[in-house]
Amino acid sequence: MNAEPSTSNSATADDGGELDPTAAAAILAQATRQAKAEFDPSPPWRLVVIAFVVLLAYGSLWLSVRGQHPYSGPTAWGLVVTFALIAVLIAVSASSARRATTGITGPSVRQRRTVAAAIITVFIAVYVFAGALKHLGVDPAIVSGVYPAVGLLIIGGAAGAGLAAAKEEWLDLGTALAIMLAGAICAFAGPVGVWLAAGISLFVIVCARAAVLAWRRRA
Amino acid sequence: MHSEPLDPVIHAPARLRIVATLATLPAGDELSFTRLQDILELTPGNLITHLRKLEDAGYVSTEKTGNGTAGKTTVALTGAGRKALDEYTQALRGLLDGL
Repeated sequence: MNAEPSTSNSATADDGGELDPTAAAAILAQATRQAKAEFDPSPPWRLVVIAFVVLLAYGSLWLSVRGQHPYSGPTAWGLVVTFALIAVLIAVSASSARRATTGITGPSVRQRRTVAAAIITVFIAVYVFAGALKHLGVDPAIVSGVYPAVGLLIIGGAAGAGLAAAKEEWLDLGTALAIMLAGAICAFAGPVGVWLAAGISLFVIVCARAAVLAWRRRA
Repeated sequence: MHSEPLDPVIHAPARLRIVATLATLPAGDELSFTRLQDILELTPGNLITHLRKLEDAGYVSTEKTGNGTAGKTTVALTGAGRKALDEYTQALRGLLDGL
């Protein structure tokens, strides 16, 4: 794929002598738009897919706990469906990211790997802490309900907001803050309702982000 | 209304597309020759010709690693190239506003 290019030059008449400013502006805009689409690891259509998968995952957990008295947490089938959906999500995301970053080397690639490692660490820490709460005998409504439903949103959102603010990525910052606030507010819905509230909130936030990205591309 | 002349090194369809494509990457990142060729759909010889003109002007840098079929060539926009594209875009806006 990365074979050494031939050094034999072919003649070209592409010296721009006949290129008028209007055509040049159109070429510049089209090339920039195409390149952004090529290098974007999270295109709007994929964000919409992610939004639906997240809604399905949270929805299946909500269905599995609905009507529990007393509350005991998501059932085995609810967890199996969720983990299967998460696996699909990771596979689709990894494939899309690999395609977008093929042939690119440099600081941004290293930075992306560091961010991915940080996100995975946050994810693990959130659920290790849930294990500690369970070990300490905290109520299942918290350990298997409110905390796992929104803990990742609040802590992950805060970490994401910090990263986005450092990079001055305002859309990322807005998304991260919205996720964090949604997590905090959804906690009021209680151990059953929190799953549905968090799923719908994430769906709306991710779809809104996709809409903003699609609008930016057209502008 | 006075307008800056358009930089003749950039003001050619293929070179304009090369520079615009490389400018969408963050500063310091490099792109493989083959990926750039795939995106722009240019022949290797044609792409090399345009890259040489841009390299002679100091707008892009190329780096070769390895030899033969395992070799890899990467291309990056230099700071001067990024500045030249900014100036070209400004000059283009000036011309279009004057039309």
